[in-house]
Amino acid sequence: MRVLGEGCLLLSFISTGYAAFLSVAPGPGLDRLRPRLALWAAVVGLAALSITMAVLAWGLVGRDYGFEYVSQYASQLLPWQYCLSALWVGQAGSLLLWAWMMGAFALILRLSPAADATVRNTAFGIVMANVCFLVAVMVFAADPMAPSLTVGDQGRGLSPLLQHPSMLVHPPIVFASYAAWTVPCALALAALWSGRVGASWIQLARPWALVAWTLLGVGLLLGAHWAYQELGWGGYWGWDPVENGSLLPWLTGTGCIHAMLAWRHRDCLKTTALSLAVVTLALCNFATFLTRSGIFSSVHAFSESPIGWMFLGLMTVLVAVCAVLVVRRRTLLHSEWSFDCLIARESLICISVFLLLLLTAVVMAGTLVAPLSKVFAGRTIQVGPAFYNHVLPPIGLAVLAMTAAVPLLRWGSPPRRAQRRLMAICLALGVVVAVVAFVCGVRHPLAIAVVALAALAAVAPAAALLHDAWRREAPTSWQDCLSALRNGRRQYAAYSIHVGLLCVAVGVTGSSLGKKQREVILAEGDAIQWEGRQIQYLRLEQSQLADKWVAEAVLKVARNGDDPVTLRPARHLHLLQDQWTTEVAIDSRWSGDLYTILRAGLGDGRVSLTLVDNPMIRWIWVGGMLCAASAVVAVLPLLRPRGVTRLSIAARSEHETGPPMSDAA
Amino acid sequence: MTSGVKLLAGALIVAVAIGYLAFLGAAGNWQYYLSVDEAVADEVELAGKRIRVSGNVVAGSLRVSDDRREAEFDLTGKLHSLHASCSCAIPDNLADDMDVVVEGELAADGMHGHKVVTRCASKYQPKVAIAERVESPGTSVTR
Repeated sequence: MRVLGEGCLLLSFISTGYAAFLSVAPGPGLDRLRPRLALWAAVVGLAALSITMAVLAWGLVGRDYGFEYVSQYASQLLPWQYCLSALWVGQAGSLLLWAWMMGAFALILRLSPAADATVRNTAFGIVMANVCFLVAVMVFAADPMAPSLTVGDQGRGLSPLLQHPSMLVHPPIVFASYAAWTVPCALALAALWSGRVGASWIQLARPWALVAWTLLGVGLLLGAHWAYQELGWGGYWGWDPVENGSLLPWLTGTGCIHAMLAWRHRDCLKTTALSLAVVTLALCNFATFLTRSGIFSSVHAFSESPIGWMFLGLMTVLVAVCAVLVVRRRTLLHSEWSFDCLIARESLICISVFLLLLLTAVVMAGTLVAPLSKVFAGRTIQVGPAFYNHVLPPIGLAVLAMTAAVPLLRWGSPPRRAQRRLMAICLALGVVVAVVAFVCGVRHPLAIAVVALAALAAVAPAAALLHDAWRREAPTSWQDCLSALRNGRRQYAAYSIHVGLLCVAVGVTGSSLGKKQREVILAEGDAIQWEGRQIQYLRLEQSQLADKWVAEAVLKVARNGDDPVTLRPARHLHLLQDQWTTEVAIDSRWSGDLYTILRAGLGDGRVSLTLVDNPMIRWIWVGGMLCAASAVVAVLPLLRPRGVTRLSIAARSEHETGPPMSDAA
Repeated sequence: MTSGVKLLAGALIVAVAIGYLAFLGAAGNWQYYLSVDEAVADEVELAGKRIRVSGNVVAGSLRVSDDRREAEFDLTGKLHSLHASCSCAIPDNLADDMDVVVEGELAADGMHGHKVVTRCASKYQPKVAIAERVESPGTSVTR
């Protein structure tokens, strides 16, 4: 089996490279045959990668310790689903999954109808070249099929911290997003290379950018959720270099999607949209460099490896090629648009993209200060969360204000009288909510501002919907609203994403500013009153499972006369790794979470506990889910536009633009 | 002045303001991140400053209190070693012969730590670690 996998890996290296060569490199003859040959070479490459993946998965689930990879990450005691998840936990396996996903996306791109087949086919070649790069890294530096030199009857098993349901889906989703970002980047490079920079590029690239952005957002959310549930420190984001690495492409990707919108509606921000598509993929490679180069100290503990530097090289090449092509095509990218009207959508998008790039720059600076200070000052200097909390709130607030205001603005001109009136009503409501928050005891200016903006963001889409329904010159009814909602599905999905982001902002602000923590030692039957809750420790329960020893403290938590809930914070001793882990127990409500951590059993039935009150944290998960669900609604119609056939797409003109007041998704 | 120039000027002002804010934020919140050898070499200069020191826990030196809120151990580098006493939540996987980062102040009797970070033995092991494991089977590959 291992030899079959090795052979398939080599075959995929050759065939993906051949597909890339045929699609990108110019050559005489075979003009009609080249695209077909490239397609078949890619199919063979993807099939070979699929077999390699299947072989490794088979080895992991069957615990075949003849594979070095299997002996590192699988064990007899590990449940089969975590054995399978080991496929994307290690270096080589994660590269294999990433390459496979990228190859699959390349084929989907190649087989999809496109207004500009030349750009699509060249982009297909660029994606295949990237797949070939990943396979080359595996062949020469991280072989997933490497034989084990010492075959035993037990592997090392997966780190207990990674044995969590979030880890079954978080890494594949992040790798899927990185793979999906390859497509808009390749389309941008292909359009710049061929000089076919038109609206058809947006039509091709925007669905991919939206899918990639959504996947990356979901990946970030799942990662934060895993950290919150599994690491047992009461937080979800530590401004660790690895976390920052995935946040950077999400920020530039957000800017890219909005620049595409401005290009589509107002023929502006063309260079920004194309450059950000490339920069976003470059930053995905930068994130890979962060995790695999070993130059950073991180809780994620990735060791020194030459692989990271290969990804840094790829990132440099991408940025350099993009810069050269943008300069070469500067006349094609020229726009007649000027920044005349401040309160129009494109102006706000322009400012928002600038602010997102500022956020990116600050996060990048905070991340890179360690290696750069080592090089230039001889000593490593680090900045912690306090740096980010000091710098990011003003920019973040400005971005949130733009996000909240945009539904009530128009493309290309100031708002009409009716829109101005609605805007004044929404602003007044925001002020009222701020006053109510103040009266209810919220004192921090940042919290008051975020709450007011969240209220504005929640009512602005409703006001925009009323306005859209109202324009139909008849008494406004539910049917009018539904009709407006249906006609502007992507636009309202985008507004809904904005509302979701404001929910996340509320959760982040509440949990950051209002977090409280208390350390207690309790004997059996002891009860304490804390933050409006009565917390009683009942007993310590211990049990032995196949792979671990479990100690659980049983707590009864009652709040404001509600039915009491039982929490079971625990400590697990994983027998194979001889490692303790903390399993937190959480009572989650809209107002906040009670997060309980069992620190130790002290004998005589006493336990040492940490209690954390995390206000508003559920808003983060719900807001994130709202964003993801809304993004799916925004993407689905794009994949199969109503009434658009393969022929009608091909017939569209190069400089087609969308209607001025619709389709803000 | 054209709108483009106005836009550029506005962007520049905002960027400079944020840059200044970033400078203030970094100036108040930076810390040295040092190896044990670097910390011991500059012991006098670093005394009383909040720093982070990375090193390896000397086997047999680790003592953790029953309630896991205090720990003492020796950190070793290539040339020197440093005693660390920490008062904070002690990570579950803190163990002998493990790479850790201690955040705190350097004093005459060693590091007084307020935070201990262990490296999670998880992903992307390099080939060098695999080779080491083959040479000494049964030992940890965590680096």
